[in-house]
Amino acid sequence: MKTRRSVSVLLLLSLLVASVLTGCGGKTKPAEGTPPSQAQKVKLTLWQHDNPDFNEATQKAIDKFKEQNPNIEVDVQTFPYDVYIQKIKAAFAANTEPDILQIFGTWVPDYSSQGFLDAVPDSLMAQKDDFYPAALGAYTWQGKLYGLPHEYNLENGGMLVHPAMFQAANLSYPKTWDELVADAKKLTKRDSQGITQAGFIFTSTDNITYSLLSFILQQGGDYWNADKTGVKLSSPEATKAWNAMLDLVLVDKVEDPKLIPPTGDEDISDYFFKGQAAMAYRGPWTIANGLHQYNLKDFEYAPVPPFAGDKPYFAAESGWGETVSARSKNKEAAWKLVGYLTGDAALDWNVRSFTVPARKGVAANPKFVEATGPMMKTSLGVLDFGRWIGPLRDRDQFFDIINRHFMAAADKLETREASLKAAETEINAMLAEKSK
Amino acid sequence: MTSWKRWLRPANRSRALFVAGALTPVMLLFFVFFILPITASVVLAFYRYSPLDPDSPFIGVRNFLNLVSDPVFRKAVRNTFYFVLAAVPVNLLITLPIAIGLDGVRRRWLRDSLRAVYFLPTVAPIVAAAVIWAYLYQPVNGLLNAFIGHLGIPRILWLTSAKWAMPSVIVMSLWQDIGYNIVIFLAGLEAIPSVFYEAAKIDGAGRWHLFRNITFPLLSRTSSFVLVMTMISYLQVFAQMQVMTNGGPHDSTRVLALFIYDSAFRYNQMGYASAAAVILLGVTLLLTLLALWLTRRMSQWEY
Repeated sequence: MKTRRSVSVLLLLSLLVASVLTGCGGKTKPAEGTPPSQAQKVKLTLWQHDNPDFNEATQKAIDKFKEQNPNIEVDVQTFPYDVYIQKIKAAFAANTEPDILQIFGTWVPDYSSQGFLDAVPDSLMAQKDDFYPAALGAYTWQGKLYGLPHEYNLENGGMLVHPAMFQAANLSYPKTWDELVADAKKLTKRDSQGITQAGFIFTSTDNITYSLLSFILQQGGDYWNADKTGVKLSSPEATKAWNAMLDLVLVDKVEDPKLIPPTGDEDISDYFFKGQAAMAYRGPWTIANGLHQYNLKDFEYAPVPPFAGDKPYFAAESGWGETVSARSKNKEAAWKLVGYLTGDAALDWNVRSFTVPARKGVAANPKFVEATGPMMKTSLGVLDFGRWIGPLRDRDQFFDIINRHFMAAADKLETREASLKAAETEINAMLAEKSK
Repeated sequence: MTSWKRWLRPANRSRALFVAGALTPVMLLFFVFFILPITASVVLAFYRYSPLDPDSPFIGVRNFLNLVSDPVFRKAVRNTFYFVLAAVPVNLLITLPIAIGLDGVRRRWLRDSLRAVYFLPTVAPIVAAAVIWAYLYQPVNGLLNAFIGHLGIPRILWLTSAKWAMPSVIVMSLWQDIGYNIVIFLAGLEAIPSVFYEAAKIDGAGRWHLFRNITFPLLSRTSSFVLVMTMISYLQVFAQMQVMTNGGPHDSTRVLALFIYDSAFRYNQMGYASAAAVILLGVTLLLTLLALWLTRRMSQWEY
C-alpha cells in the first residue's frame, strides 16, 4: 500500500513538474498553419499627434489590422501637436518611448542620427522604389531608411480658391504668375479700416519659406551651396523671389499679415474658409479641414502658376510617417503594423486623411483619384517636380529665421537686402553650430 | 551648552526626532524638485548640451558670452523689464484701492461675494484665459475691435502690432492676476485694529489722513510681500506670451522665460537655455533683495 501511494505521488509530482516546465519554456514559433489567435500575444504602443483626419484614418487601418492579427493589441495614444515634439524628445531621453511613433519626416534625422530608430527591415525595403524620393528624403540617414512615410508633404503647387469670388469678378483661374498678381489685386476688397477680403494670402509660418525656396528653384537656381552645408540667399534668384513676395504685401497689397493672429489654432486657410480671402496658398491637407471641419463644398483647389519658367519646381519636407524605436521589444510586430499602415492600408489612409500619397502606386490608382475628386488632381500633377528640402538640421529655427526677417522687411523694420542677408547669415550660423 | 547640543539631551531627543520626521518628506521633495534641478541647470549652463546628443562638451562661459551678443536675448531682457516695470506698479495701484473699497463694505455676505468675483479670474487656468483673450483681441473677428468699431474708433492691431502687443498682454495679465493681491491686501486690512481708526476719527482725521497715517504704514509688511511676490511672478511670465503672441510681432513680446523655453525645447539648445535661466535667476534674486532692502524701512511699523 505504502509503495503504491509513493509511486502515485511520484507520478503526480512528475506530471506537475513537466507541465510547469512546458509552461516556462522559451518562445517557440507557432507551428506552420497555426491560426494567429494562438500566436503569442503582443502589445504595441503607437503615438500620434492630434489631427482628427489623420487619427480617424489611422484608427480605421489599425482596426482592420487587428482583425487580421488578433494576437497583436495596439494602444494608440494621441497628443496635442504643440507638445508632441517635446514629448518625443523627453521620451527618448528617458527611455520611455513607444514602439511606434507617427512622426513628421523632418524630425526623423534628430533621432535616426543618434541610433534611436530601427532601420526598415529588408522585407519592407523591397517596396522602397514605390515611394517618391522627396517623401523618403528625411527618413534616410547614411544610406539607410528609418521609417516609412504616409504622405508627400506638399505646400506648393496648389491653392485654395473661391470660384464664386472669381465669377463675381469675371475672372478665370490664373495661368501665369503675372495673371495671379493681377487677379489678386482685383479680388482684394477694402473698407476704411483696411483689407476685408485678401486677394492672395500666403504668409503662414510654412508658406513664406516654401514660396521663397520654390521661386528660387523655378528660376533655375538653388538655395543650398555645393555640399549642402550652407544656404546662399544672396543670389539673384533669391533676391528676385524675396522682392516678389514682399511686393505682394507692400506694393500690390493683396494681403495684410497683421490681420492674421500670430498664434492660436487658426491658420491662413481658416481665413480662407471664413470667406476672408479669395486665394490661399496652402497645401492640400487643408482641403480636409474645409470639407470636414467647416463642412464647405463651394471651394476648389487650383494650380498655382510657376513664378518663373513653366515647371512648378518646389522643395518639400518629408511628411508624416511611421517609425519604430530601436529599443522596442516588439520590433517584428511593430514593423508588421507599419508595413500594413504604409502599404495595404495606404490607399484608404490617404483617402480618409485627404493627403497626397507618398507612394506612386497610390497616386496613380484610379480609386484614389476617384475618391478624392478633382481637388487632389492639382497636387498629383506636380509631384514629379518636387525634391527633398535638404538637411535643415533644425527645421523650426530654419523657418523661424526666414519668417522673422520677412515680417521685419514687410513691416519696413529692415531693408529688403538687409533682411535677406541677415536670414542667410543666421541660417548658416545655425547650420554650422548644429553640425559640430 | 551650545544650542544644538540641547537637542541631544534625552528629554529633548524625542521632540527632535519628531521634528526631523515631520520635516524629512518635505525637505526631500524640496531637495529633489528644487535644489537638484537648479543645480543641474547651473552646471548645464557651462556645457553644450542636447538631450538627444551623447556628445555634450564642456564649453566654459561660452554660452554666457553668446547670450550677451545675441540680439534676441537682449531684446528678451528689455521686454521682461518692460513687463515688470509696467505691470507691477499698475497691479498695486489697482489692487490696493479695490481692497480698501471691499474692506469698507459693511455687509459681510456682499464683501465675501465681491471678493469671490474678483478672485475668479485667478482661479481660471492661465492658458484657457489667454486663448479667450487672444480671440477677443483678434483684429478682424475679435469682440474688442467690434465694440470700438461701433464707437467709431479705427481697428486696433492689439496683438499684431509691435506698439500694442505688450500693453495688450499686460492688460490680460492684470485681469487674470489682480484677484490674488486683492485678497492678500484685504487680509492685511482686516488685521489692522479698528481702535486706531476710531482714535484718529475722534481727532478729526479725514479719509486721506487715515490712509496716509494709519492704513499705509500698518499695511507695509503686506505691501512688501505683495510687491516682492508680484515682481518674482512677473519676471517669469510665460504662458500668456506663448499662447497670445509667441514672442511676436518682431520679438516685441519675447520675454526671458519664452526665450529659455524656445532655446531648450524648440531649438534643442539646453545648455544655452540653462545659461539664460541662470541669468534670470540672478536677476530675480538681485531685484528681490533690492526690493526687500528698500521696503525694510517701511515695514518697521507694528501693532
